[in-house]
Amino acid sequence: MKDRRIVCRCEDLTEEEIIHAIEEGYDNLESLKRYTGATTGSCQGKGCLMHIIRILSQKTGKSPDEIGLTTQRPPVNPVPLFLLAEGDEK
Amino acid sequence: MKVAIIGGGVIGLSTAYFLAREGADVTVFEQKYLLYGASGRNSGGITAMHDNEAMIELAKRSIELYEVLPSEVDFNFLFRQDGYIKVAATGDDFEALKEEVRLQNSLGVKSRIIDAYEVKDFIPDFNEESIIGGAYEPSGGVIFPWPVIWGLAKGCRELGVEIRDNTEVKEILVENGRVEGVVAGDETFRAEYVVNAAGAWSNRISSMAGVELDNKIIKEEICVTESLKPYLNQYLLDITTGVYLSQSMRGEIVGGILGSEADNLSTSSTLDFVFRYSRRAIELIPKLKGLALLRQWAGVYDEGKDGLPVVGETKIDGFIQANGFGKAGMSVGPAVGEELAKLILKGKSEKLAVFNPERF
Repeated sequence: MKDRRIVCRCEDLTEEEIIHAIEEGYDNLESLKRYTGATTGSCQGKGCLMHIIRILSQKTGKSPDEIGLTTQRPPVNPVPLFLLAEGDEK
Repeated sequence: MKVAIIGGGVIGLSTAYFLAREGADVTVFEQKYLLYGASGRNSGGITAMHDNEAMIELAKRSIELYEVLPSEVDFNFLFRQDGYIKVAATGDDFEALKEEVRLQNSLGVKSRIIDAYEVKDFIPDFNEESIIGGAYEPSGGVIFPWPVIWGLAKGCRELGVEIRDNTEVKEILVENGRVEGVVAGDETFRAEYVVNAAGAWSNRISSMAGVELDNKIIKEEICVTESLKPYLNQYLLDITTGVYLSQSMRGEIVGGILGSEADNLSTSSTLDFVFRYSRRAIELIPKLKGLALLRQWAGVYDEGKDGLPVVGETKIDGFIQANGFGKAGMSVGPAVGEELAKLILKGKSEKLAVFNPERF
């Protein structure tokens, strides 16, 4: 069986799938994120973003600094809706 | 014929696609990456339940196109036609729904008024006490906006369209009342037609051509929860509070609140939004309360001053507006593209006549 290196556990993505997407032309971080779903699962990138940046860096020759980070969106950790519903605008 | 389209969203790419299919030489300019604007930030609600005749016709045609375009461009748009439900929590809003359904029915849309218990037939965990009544339309539903854009972009490229992302249009060339092209990046592109499909950025683009445009800017916020097994088939919109939600093909509950007018293009997220959204979402479907919110974001779109899109020719020959679609861009995009291609290539589109930019 072929090696399957899982780089995003929430969305069950392998390194090969990320490379395939980059080769398809989704070769900037924001597009790669949307096309593969990497960093959009339940960890919101905490477990996979660095792997994705590493692969993108290796494939494109850009440094991690040039690649940057995806837009970081709230909340930092998942919050159940019933707690948020108790929130007070003020 | 050379056409420059400004904006790589659903309107710009649909227009590029239908123009290229008829042999036009099209270049699309996207200031950032595809999906940066509202076409990449919306919740994918598709419906023919509009309250304006021309919008209903465009939405009907777009639903037909969404059924055939995926095989034409060989890319699955993940369009799930499980129906679209609007609910109302006040008597006045319910009356407004009844009125729009009458108009829709007269145009062949199979929408119908339903009571609160019928909503429960569609959504078993729905709280019938949270509303007065609703309307249901079977041909609508949920589309995944990202593959719509990827698929249209693929179809465009295969027809020879050049899509230039990260390329901001800096200048629109006008000579003797006629558009001559655009300056984008540091290059000049000659074109006989320039289409302004820049969404929330359309006012700025229009001023580059010396054409006044005063679309409202609307900011809207959306959030997404963790994934569930298939649970919610229909797209649900509460017209009284503006709260809407649906389940994506990935299982997440995607929901938001209809936007309100903004004086800038900021896409910052607010805590106030998730408080208000969570409260109403739980009233509508109490079982959602234990779901965890994973991520929230915001987007901006534009809307014509009278609430209708701004589409058609302007006082500058060849400079075409295709903006101001409000929250309906995804619902009417493909048909708008098809009609704009007719307008540009054949000089006429009856379906777009009421959206004439000169009406103000």
